[in-house]
Amino acid sequence: MRVLSLIISLLALWGVSTLFGSEAHWQIDMGSFGLEGVVIGLKATALANFFALLIAIGFFSISLIASKYKLSKGFYALLYLLLVSLFLIVYAEDYLLFFVGWEVMSVTTYLLFSYDLSREALIKYIVFALASAMSLLGGIMVLYSASHSFLYTDAHQGFIALSATLQVIFILLMLFAFFIKLGVIGFHYWLMDSYEQSSDFFTPYLSAVLSKMGIYALIILLVYVVDIHMISGTWLAYTLAIMGLLSSIIATFKAVNEDSMKRLLAYSSIAQLGYIVTVLSMADGLGGALYHSLIHTLVKLLLFINIAGIIYMTARSKFSELGGLIYRMPQSFVLLLIGIISLAGMPPLAGFASKFLIYTTLLEGGNLLILSAMLFASASAFLYIYKLIYGIYLGHPTSKRYETIREVPLAFLIPQYLLSLLLIVAGVYPGIVIPYFNTILKELRLETIPFESYTILGSEMASYNGFVLMSAFVGVFVLILLFMLSLRSKAKEAKDRFDIAYCGEVPDEGTHLHYGFSMGKELKRVGFIGVILRNSSSVFYDYISRQLFGFATVFRKLYSGNLSFNFNIAALFALILLWWGLR
Amino acid sequence: MIILDLALMLITAYFVGFIYYGLYRNITARFQRRIGPTIFQSFYDSIKFFGKKEAISHGWMFYLGPIIMATGAIMTLFFIPFFYQSESFSGLSGYGNLFLVLYLMLLGPLGNAMGVGVGGNPFGVMGVTRGLTRLFALELPFYIAVVAIMSISQSADIATIAGSQTTINAFAHPLLFIAALFSFVAMMGQSPFDVVGAPVEVYSGPASEFSGKFLSLLMSQSAIFSFAKLVLMVNLFLGGADGFFELLWKTFVLFLFVIAFGAIYGRFKTPQSVDFLIKVPTVIAIVGLIFATAWGN
Amino acid sequence: MDEGFLKEQQVMESDLNSETSHKSSVDFLMDWFRRRSIFVLAYGTGCGAIEMPPTFTSRYDAERLGIRGAATPRQADVIIVSGYCSYKTLRRIIRTYEQMANPKYILALGSCTVNGGMYWDSYNTIKRLEDYLPVDMYVNGCMPRPESILEGFMALQKEIGDGKISSWQKYEDNYAFYRKNQEAVLGQTVAPAYDADWYLYDGGL
Repeated sequence: MRVLSLIISLLALWGVSTLFGSEAHWQIDMGSFGLEGVVIGLKATALANFFALLIAIGFFSISLIASKYKLSKGFYALLYLLLVSLFLIVYAEDYLLFFVGWEVMSVTTYLLFSYDLSREALIKYIVFALASAMSLLGGIMVLYSASHSFLYTDAHQGFIALSATLQVIFILLMLFAFFIKLGVIGFHYWLMDSYEQSSDFFTPYLSAVLSKMGIYALIILLVYVVDIHMISGTWLAYTLAIMGLLSSIIATFKAVNEDSMKRLLAYSSIAQLGYIVTVLSMADGLGGALYHSLIHTLVKLLLFINIAGIIYMTARSKFSELGGLIYRMPQSFVLLLIGIISLAGMPPLAGFASKFLIYTTLLEGGNLLILSAMLFASASAFLYIYKLIYGIYLGHPTSKRYETIREVPLAFLIPQYLLSLLLIVAGVYPGIVIPYFNTILKELRLETIPFESYTILGSEMASYNGFVLMSAFVGVFVLILLFMLSLRSKAKEAKDRFDIAYCGEVPDEGTHLHYGFSMGKELKRVGFIGVILRNSSSVFYDYISRQLFGFATVFRKLYSGNLSFNFNIAALFALILLWWGLR
Repeated sequence: MIILDLALMLITAYFVGFIYYGLYRNITARFQRRIGPTIFQSFYDSIKFFGKKEAISHGWMFYLGPIIMATGAIMTLFFIPFFYQSESFSGLSGYGNLFLVLYLMLLGPLGNAMGVGVGGNPFGVMGVTRGLTRLFALELPFYIAVVAIMSISQSADIATIAGSQTTINAFAHPLLFIAALFSFVAMMGQSPFDVVGAPVEVYSGPASEFSGKFLSLLMSQSAIFSFAKLVLMVNLFLGGADGFFELLWKTFVLFLFVIAFGAIYGRFKTPQSVDFLIKVPTVIAIVGLIFATAWGN
Repeated sequence: MDEGFLKEQQVMESDLNSETSHKSSVDFLMDWFRRRSIFVLAYGTGCGAIEMPPTFTSRYDAERLGIRGAATPRQADVIIVSGYCSYKTLRRIIRTYEQMANPKYILALGSCTVNGGMYWDSYNTIKRLEDYLPVDMYVNGCMPRPESILEGFMALQKEIGDGKISSWQKYEDNYAFYRKNQEAVLGQTVAPAYDADWYLYDGGL
């Protein structure tokens, strides 16, 4: 089964790559099946190919680590079904097939979750997934009522034909559906438990690929249905920008306070997707959104596979139970370091390229407050990023077991090496993907990103040269290293980990030295961050569920199982109806 | 040619930075009615630590931490042009922009935080946590001010921003300048925002485990980095410089302000400093931004 | 003339260049810098610690001589043993001294560090600090005033400048002797010999 999944993932990669540049198109009129005027189709647009590539990369990465997990045949079958549904979503040319794909994706994910998740988390997920699907269906129906076609090509005409109120209702329904999938803050109630409890094998895919479907759907909505050229200044743009920023900022601070690695990364995922949602509020923002989607997919695959390796070796998933693994697992440490540098958007690696594109777009659009807030969220992310690497690799081991633990198996390291190589290459050549993005943007009749060469990214207002940056960085680093090594002053290795300056005291096993895992707790004392950390959307959803429960109690009173009482009620209704009819 | 240029930039920043640090100690001493050390004192300290016979190390990441920090500082310096017109002393600024510099400034501290973490000293990590907490608070007003300046100049190129100021930005947009100054004081690690390396509270914070040549490298990068930050502020708000004399007096005035500010205030607690920075300077910066964009043009 | 006040006076009055030593030019330069930059560990070990704040602050301003405080032993050059030294403190002093980076110096204040002073009969203080750690400079008095401490520092600086001090080398060479004495009073509570474990030193990175 493992080999089969690898073969299938390679086939998927190959299949997607053959579609690049082709105009593959398949359309069928459902009239022959009794559905007059309904046309459905599949089309390999450049945009669809891009997201299909992300799907294939993600699937390839997780099939490499599949050999380390005991997965049942049913699990694999569901995984392939999920893959098919994802391809259906991206290649669909109309909202009907899109909806089918969306629904199959939700249900398959539910079934995949059912292997690992607790009952509560499962219920949370399915309720939200169904709400998302129903809302999507409602939106599609509203649109269909005007356009009488499911095709994307007719969608804009239909949208224009809608009355102003219906336009608002349509957009709200669609946004509700996609925000749930994206886990935009406030709609992320299902997401945390699902990410935390799902199999370590599946979480990378969940964060890196499944959440991107929300981005893809949002792009489809903005580009094909609502014309993205007209979006600036509308309430839709403000909604997207504000929701995106709230996601970025709130999720960032929530992430700092988490003790579980996977929950921290789940919040990080929400925050990163927040950037993409924000930048989609601008007509020129699509380039940045696509670039950040790509980088986020690579980074989150890398990070989640890394911690999957850690959990595989240690069977622990909390920062408070880990620590000090760096010299036992140096390769994993360096790979995670590459991942977090990219996640933080630090210059020599690719994370900076995508963020830079987003920032310049915002600057050129004059959205200064949004830009400042985004820079702020990005700088705040350092806290949880440091917590992530400190809690696992730095500091002191919290268990004697970690002093003899071995490096993560090769199966976990290979995909990480591949992904980090991609990140480094994209850091040196930040413009390498721009020609392809320009194909997408041209196809969607949007303004293209200025392109000079592979090493340069940017526009008139600001640009930078990734190659010069990387060579200068490496050059300076090596020079300082050589200088330090050439000094007569010797570096004396500490005898063991307790040889630290500790106010004249000698710490021992019982001393609490792995301090940083609880970092972020003190933020509660800071005004507005405390407000964020103390409150939770679960309060709202708990309130809703209590109200529903109360409502259901009233109904239960009506149907209590007491036949005579029910008969009386029914007779009363019948009388009322009779009286009303006679009148 | 560019190598020579970079080397000259580095040497200038190193010596000017150390002399500024000496002046800082001397002037602070005068504030406290003492004579104080010579202005070369920080330089002596640095050389002495390079010449220590040994330095404790906790493995390769500990070794690399200060080196990454120094790399970040030197890279920041290289991407900031000293003069807005001259070809020389512009370093690599033609290949970068202000966003890059803003991020490069954060690269060093994060790299060093790895070294601190692997050192295993809990006081060091306390310092890092304080530093990262202070970081996002001080960046908020600074980013708003910088973004407004970028928008006014319609460029993210530092030399263009410096050269395009007919009235210097500090006078044209005083609110932005004031907000950025608060952040700048915090960035320079001055009171009342000097929570990171508090010697009596957290055992000198991130530096607590570094000795000998590592400590000396940290001191050197701090001197270089401080000078780079001063040049950046001069370029953004004080109209840049056209020659060494102008650069030196402008940076020195700014530096003197930071010293004077730091000499008279006590230390905030970490939540207090975060609270202050995201309230007072941020509000000033937002008002400044609105003035600059809505009525400025 | 070998010890006490007269010796100190001699050191202070002696000319810096009176003795020619065999040093390489790098060593000469380094000693020149070492002499001008002295980081003192901020650790008050006994009653004499009360004299240190005035020494370092505005009244006497040790910083004008290049002497300033350091928070951790990793950054310090000098540790001041300020007066009587109980067993409990000795353990921390040894630990701290061993964590300091070479070259490192010890400045001992007051008569208690010389021979126990008024704590001669005490059940829990040591008498001669020399037996446990190599002392570079004594400043006598009970307690020495800040002026005396500064004089002691200046004498130390002169010796450092001449490259005469190698007490850390002495400690390493005679480690067995010092360790025996330390264990005699501290028993099992003596700090583990981390940094003192030179025999196993494998060079590091």
